[in-house]
Amino acid sequence: MTDIQERPHKKRRFFVEEEAPVQDTTLPTEPTLPDEVIPETNSFNAHTEQQLLGSFDADTLRAVAGCEVPDSTIRSLQGRFGTDLEQAVNAYLDGSWKTPSPQKRPVVSSHSGQQPIAFRKEPSNAAAGTTSNHATSSKPSSPPPKPPALDAMPKKRYIGALGVAGWTTRSGNNLLRPNDVVKIERTKQNMPQKLGRGGKVKQTFRKTQDVIVRFTNARGEEIGRLEKDTANWISSLIDQKVCSFEGHCVFAPERIRTNDTVYIQLRCYLLKQAFEASNFIKPLENNRETGIFEAKETQDERDLRLRQIGLVKLFSEINLQPSKVNETTARHKREGILQAAEVAEQYDQSESAKKSKPSSPQENGGSSPPSEDAAEEGEELEQDQLDSLYKKAQSFDFNTPEAQPADTFVMDLRKYQKQALHWMLNKETSQKDEEKQQSMHPLWEEYLWPAKDAEDRDLPSVTGQHCFYVNPYSGEMSLDFPVQEQTCLGGVLADEMGLGKTIEMLSLIHSHTSPEQQAAIDSGNMDSVNSLPRLPKSSANVERAPATTLVVAPMSLLAQWASEAEKASKAGTLKVLVYYGSEKSVNLQTLCCEANAATAPNVIITSYGVVLSEFNSVAAMGGNRGSHGGLFSLDYWRIILDEAHMVKNRQSKTAKACYEIAAKHRWVLTGTPIVNRLEDLFSLVRFLRVEPWSNFSFWKTFITAPFEKGDFVRALDVVQTVLEPIVLRRTKDMKTPDGEALVPLLPKTIKVEKIELSTPEREVYDHIYARAKRAFNSNVEAGTLMKSYTTIFAQILRLRQSCCHPILTRNKTILAEEEAAEEAADIANGLGDDMDLTSLIERFQADEGEQDASKFGAHVLRQIQEEAEMECPICSEEPMEEQAVTGCWHSACKKCLMDYIEHQSGKGELPRCFNCREPINARDVFEVIRHEDEEEEEQDGSATNALTSAFDLDEDEELYGNTQRTSTKSATKTPRISLRRVNQLSSAKVAALLASLKRIRKAEPNTKTVVFSQFTSFLDLLAPALTSANISWLRFDGSMSQKERARVLTEFASRTQFTILFLSLRAGGVGLNLTCARRVFMMDPWWSFAVEAQAIDRVHRMGQTEAVEVVRFVVGGSIEEKMLKVQERKKFIASSLGMMSDEEKKAQRIEDIRELLS
Amino acid sequence: MTTPLPKRIIKETERLQSEPVPGISAVPHDDNARYFDVNVEGPGGSCYEGGVFSLELFLPDDYPMCPPRIRFLTRIYHPNIDRLGRICLDVLKNNWSPALQIRTILLSIQALLGAPNPEDPLNEAVAKQWKENQAEAIKTAREWTEKFAQKK
Repeated sequence: MTDIQERPHKKRRFFVEEEAPVQDTTLPTEPTLPDEVIPETNSFNAHTEQQLLGSFDADTLRAVAGCEVPDSTIRSLQGRFGTDLEQAVNAYLDGSWKTPSPQKRPVVSSHSGQQPIAFRKEPSNAAAGTTSNHATSSKPSSPPPKPPALDAMPKKRYIGALGVAGWTTRSGNNLLRPNDVVKIERTKQNMPQKLGRGGKVKQTFRKTQDVIVRFTNARGEEIGRLEKDTANWISSLIDQKVCSFEGHCVFAPERIRTNDTVYIQLRCYLLKQAFEASNFIKPLENNRETGIFEAKETQDERDLRLRQIGLVKLFSEINLQPSKVNETTARHKREGILQAAEVAEQYDQSESAKKSKPSSPQENGGSSPPSEDAAEEGEELEQDQLDSLYKKAQSFDFNTPEAQPADTFVMDLRKYQKQALHWMLNKETSQKDEEKQQSMHPLWEEYLWPAKDAEDRDLPSVTGQHCFYVNPYSGEMSLDFPVQEQTCLGGVLADEMGLGKTIEMLSLIHSHTSPEQQAAIDSGNMDSVNSLPRLPKSSANVERAPATTLVVAPMSLLAQWASEAEKASKAGTLKVLVYYGSEKSVNLQTLCCEANAATAPNVIITSYGVVLSEFNSVAAMGGNRGSHGGLFSLDYWRIILDEAHMVKNRQSKTAKACYEIAAKHRWVLTGTPIVNRLEDLFSLVRFLRVEPWSNFSFWKTFITAPFEKGDFVRALDVVQTVLEPIVLRRTKDMKTPDGEALVPLLPKTIKVEKIELSTPEREVYDHIYARAKRAFNSNVEAGTLMKSYTTIFAQILRLRQSCCHPILTRNKTILAEEEAAEEAADIANGLGDDMDLTSLIERFQADEGEQDASKFGAHVLRQIQEEAEMECPICSEEPMEEQAVTGCWHSACKKCLMDYIEHQSGKGELPRCFNCREPINARDVFEVIRHEDEEEEEQDGSATNALTSAFDLDEDEELYGNTQRTSTKSATKTPRISLRRVNQLSSAKVAALLASLKRIRKAEPNTKTVVFSQFTSFLDLLAPALTSANISWLRFDGSMSQKERARVLTEFASRTQFTILFLSLRAGGVGLNLTCARRVFMMDPWWSFAVEAQAIDRVHRMGQTEAVEVVRFVVGGSIEEKMLKVQERKKFIASSLGMMSDEEKKAQRIEDIRELLS
Repeated sequence: MTTPLPKRIIKETERLQSEPVPGISAVPHDDNARYFDVNVEGPGGSCYEGGVFSLELFLPDDYPMCPPRIRFLTRIYHPNIDRLGRICLDVLKNNWSPALQIRTILLSIQALLGAPNPEDPLNEAVAKQWKENQAEAIKTAREWTEKFAQKK
C-alpha cells in the first residue's frame, strides 16, 4: 500500500473495492472541518466586516491623544491609516499626518530575511534606539506597524476558477449531482502503523508527501478525491493557508461507482492570511543549506518551495496574468520557476546521495588546489563565458568622475583609482532616491483582483485594493506595492590583481567616515574628556562600531594590510589593530563601541580563520554575540573581505561566518569574482546582501537552472545585470582613450627551461613511471580504475616529486602530506617501498657524516689556498670555477673534477685522481666554500641568522680555525674557507637553479629573486643548496606564524643585496606584494597555469618598476612536460573537481592520468 | 669543427709557442687547431741523438678527458714504437690524466726515446733484437736515425 493517494487503476476495480475499507480505517470517517473552509454565505459578512475593520475606533484615539480631536482629523487619519490606530496616534501627535504625501513604507517581507537564523534576534529597539538620534543616510530603520491594506482585505477574495477531475471513493445513487457544492478539504493522515513480517510494529515512512485532497458533501462525507496531478499543488496551497477552494460539481454520473470520474469546477479564493507577512517563511531562510547546523532543506524550505510551485500552477490554471511585471525578469518567468523547483528537488536528492557516501579524499598532499571543506556546486564556466560576463562589468568609462581622497590619506592615487573612490563613495552614500519614481521590485508581479466571479457576476470590490502582488520566486504575496530597495551600500571591487585594490579601499576608509567618527574627531580636538575610554554598557547585544572598518583577509596578507594602512595615512589619523593571535585578548566591543568612537581602532584587520573560529565559539555559546566580545559583537561601519574568493563556496563555514558579520557598508575585494562557477558570485552577493539576488531560490531560478539546462545566454545575461551595478572591475591591459595602460608595467617574460635529468635521476623516474603505468594498466584490465584512482594519483604525485629531487619521494614530510589511506593502498597494491627503488634513491641521500678534523693538515690547507688562485689543471680556467678538492687534496673546478670521475666510471674504470692517480670516490670530493660575504652576513638581522642557522650544519667543517677567521677581517682579505662534500647525486633542478642564481648574482648583484615550489619539502632541499653556494635566502610558507611571515616579508623588502625568497605556491601564491623582486623561478608546474600566473603576479604587479623575468623549470621528457600540455588545453584535473559527481570526477581524472601516463 | 675551441687547448697552444720546450715543437694546423705537427729531437746520449722525429698529434673532442692521439711519422727503430709509428706509452693509455698536457706528453715521448723499454714491447721484432743483442739494436737505431730522421 505504498500508493494510497493514487487513484486505483480501473482494471483492478474489484480488488480496489475490497481494499477501500482498509484505507478508510486509517482515516477518520468524519473529516474534521479545516478552519479555512468558510461557508459560502460568508462572502457578504466578510465584506461588511472589512468595512468595520476599515477604520479604527475614534474614541480610542481621542483617549490616547488625551484631548479632543476634531472629526475631520479623525476622518483624515482613518483615511490614511485605516485600522492602524497606533500609527494614527503617532502621526497625530507628531503632526506628520498633515503632510500631504502618504507615508511610504518599505515592504515588510522583502527585507525580513535579513535576520540571521542562527543567532538570537536582537531586540529591535536597541538598534532603533541608537540609530534614531543621528542623521545618517540610512533608511528608516524601524519598520512601520502592520500595513493597513491588510486590514482592509476581506478574509478571502475570489481570484478565479478552474476545472479539475476527481475520482469517487464511494458508490451510490445521487451522491453527487451537477451544480452540487462540494467542500474541498485536506485531512492530515496519521502515519499508518503496519505490522511487519516478523510481527513487529514498524513505522512506514512515506516516500512522497501526503497530497490527498478530498471533496465532501454538505454532511462532510467524503465523496472522492482530486486527481493526483492537481492534488499535488492544491494540497500545499490549502495546507499553507494560501487559498481555499470551493467545488461545484460540473458533471457526475447519476449512479456513482467507486473510481468513477467526476468533474468539478474549483473556485479559488486567496486567504487574507496569505498576505500576512508573519505567516510567511522568511525568504532568506530559503537559502538552502545556509543554516548553520542543518545540512539539508528544512521543512520550512520545503513548504516554501511547495507554496511557490502551487502559486505558479494556480495562476496558470486559472489563467490569471500579471498586470505588471518587471521587465528584466519577465522573460521565461514561470517556466523558469517550475524548472528550478524541479532542479532543486533533484539537486537535493543527489546531494543527499553524495553525502551518504564516505567522502573520498579530494586533496592529496600538494597535488590539488586548496579548496574549502564542502564540495562545491554548479557547473564550471568556460573561459569565453567568463570573459563575456566580465565584459559588461568592465565596460569602464574613462570619463567617470574622480573623487579626491581625504587629506589624511597621503598616498597619490592614479586617475582610475580616484574614479574607483568616486564610485565607492557613491555606492556607500547612495540612498534610496526619494525623487526617483518608485520601481517595482524585480521579483514581484502585480495582479488585478478579478471583478467578476465564475458565473460572471460582479464581485464586491474593496476600496483602494484593486490589485495584489505576488513574488513567484519566494511565494510571498503582498497587498502593498513592493518597492525595489537598494539594500546594498557597498559592492564588489574586482579590479585585476595589481591595480591597487587595497589602496583604493584605504582611500575610501579615509574619505567616508561615519558621522559619529567625524563627531568624535571634531570633539576630540576640543575636548580631551571625550577621548577617555568609556565603559560600554555591558550588553549582550551587538554594539555599533561607527568608527571601525573590519578587514578580513587571508592570514598571509594581514601584515601587508597593516603596513599599507599605515603608509597610506597621515601619522596618527588611522588607528590600526591586527586582530590575530595574542591580540585577540582585547574585548572588541569595549574598544569599538560608539561611546569610544574617538579611541576605537579605525581599521581592524583579521583573518578568515579568526572569523571562522569566533563564529564557532559564538555558535557554541548559543549565538550570543554580544557577550562574546569578539568580532561578532559589533555592527561595523564597514566590512571588507579581501581575496573574497576565499568565501566563494556558500556552503563553507567560513562563508557562512562572514555572512553573519554585521556592517553598514559591505565590500568584497577580489580579482576573480567568479573563479569557475556562477555560484561563486552568489556567495559574494549573499555576503553583500544584494536584494533580490541574495535569495538563493531566486538565484537558482534565474541563473543556475537556466545555466545547467544549457541556456547559457540567458543565464549569463542575468548575471551581467546582477554584476553591473555592484561590480567595478578594471584590468591591467585596459587602455585609456589615449592608448595608455592603466598601470604602465614593463612586460614580463616567461621562459620555460628544460631540465635534463641526470642518469641516476632518470633511473628513479623511470622506475616510478613504470610502476605507475603498471598499476594503471593492471587496474584498467581489472576494471578497478575507479577504486584505485587515489593510488594512481599518488603515483603521479611521486612522479612529479621525482622530477624535482628523487629524495622527495621518500621524504618524511611529504609522506605526511600524503593521505595515509594512499599509503595503505600502496602497500595493499604491492606498491610499497621495494628494494630496487630504495637502493636507487639511497644514492641521493646526502651523507651528513662529519669530516675528521685531523685529516686536514696545515699543508693541505695551504695547498688548497694556493691552488685556488691557479688555473684548473683540467680546463685551464683561471682561477678555477667552484674549486673542489679530491680526498688526496688536489684541486680542480668542481665540474671538471666531476666530469672526469664520471668519464672514468663511464669507461668502467676505477676513478683515480687526475694528479696523483690515487683511487678516488665521487663522494670524497669536497667543494671549497669561501665565506667572502661573511662580514655582511653577520651584520644581517638576527631574523635571518635564526632562519639560516638551522641549515648551516656545515659550519663544523670549517677549515680555518678562529685565528684564520679573525684574519678574514684583516686587510689581507684571505677568505675563510670550509669544505663541503659535493653532493654529487643532487638533482638537476637544484643544479639548474643554482647555476641560474649564480649567473644572476654575477650580472645583477642587487637583484632579488623569488622561488616558488608547491613542495615545501623541496624548499627544504633547495635552501641548504643555496646556503652552500653562499646565497642568502629567506623563506615563507604555510607553517609559519603570522609574525614570522610579516618579519620575512619586511626583511625581504628591506634587504639591499642579492637575496632569494622561497615561497610555497600555496601560501605565497595569493595576494602578497613582492614587487621588490624582479626575477621569478617556478620550480615545478602546477595543474593549472592560472595558479602559477597568480604567483608570478606577486612580482609582476603594480609597483613593479622593472621588467620581470620568469623561468619555469620543466623536466624534459617527463610528466611535467605533459602537464604543460594539459595546462594548455585547460582540461586539467583540478578544474573538474567540484562540479561533477564523484564518479564523474574520478572518470575525468582517470582520463587525464591516462594522458599523463601515455 | 663548429664547436669553439676549449680554453684549455687555446692556452696550451699559446704556451707551446711562447714558452717552447727545448728540442720539441708543436704547431697546430691553420685549418684544424686540434691537429698538430710535432718535431721531437732525439735526446742527447741516446741512439736517437741528432735525429729530428716528426709526429702527428690530434686532440680528440673529449680532450682532456681522453689523451691526445699521437703517432710517429718518421720511421724509428724502437721497441715501443711500431711500424705505423704508434707508441706504447702508459700516459697515452691507462695512465692518462687530464692534468697532463701536450707538452708533458711530448716530454714523455722524448724520455721514452732515451729509455726504450723492451719488456713492454709494441714491436716484437725490435724488442727481441733489443733483448738479445742490444748493441746491434742500438746500431740499427742509429742507422735509421741517420737515414730517416735528418732535419730537412
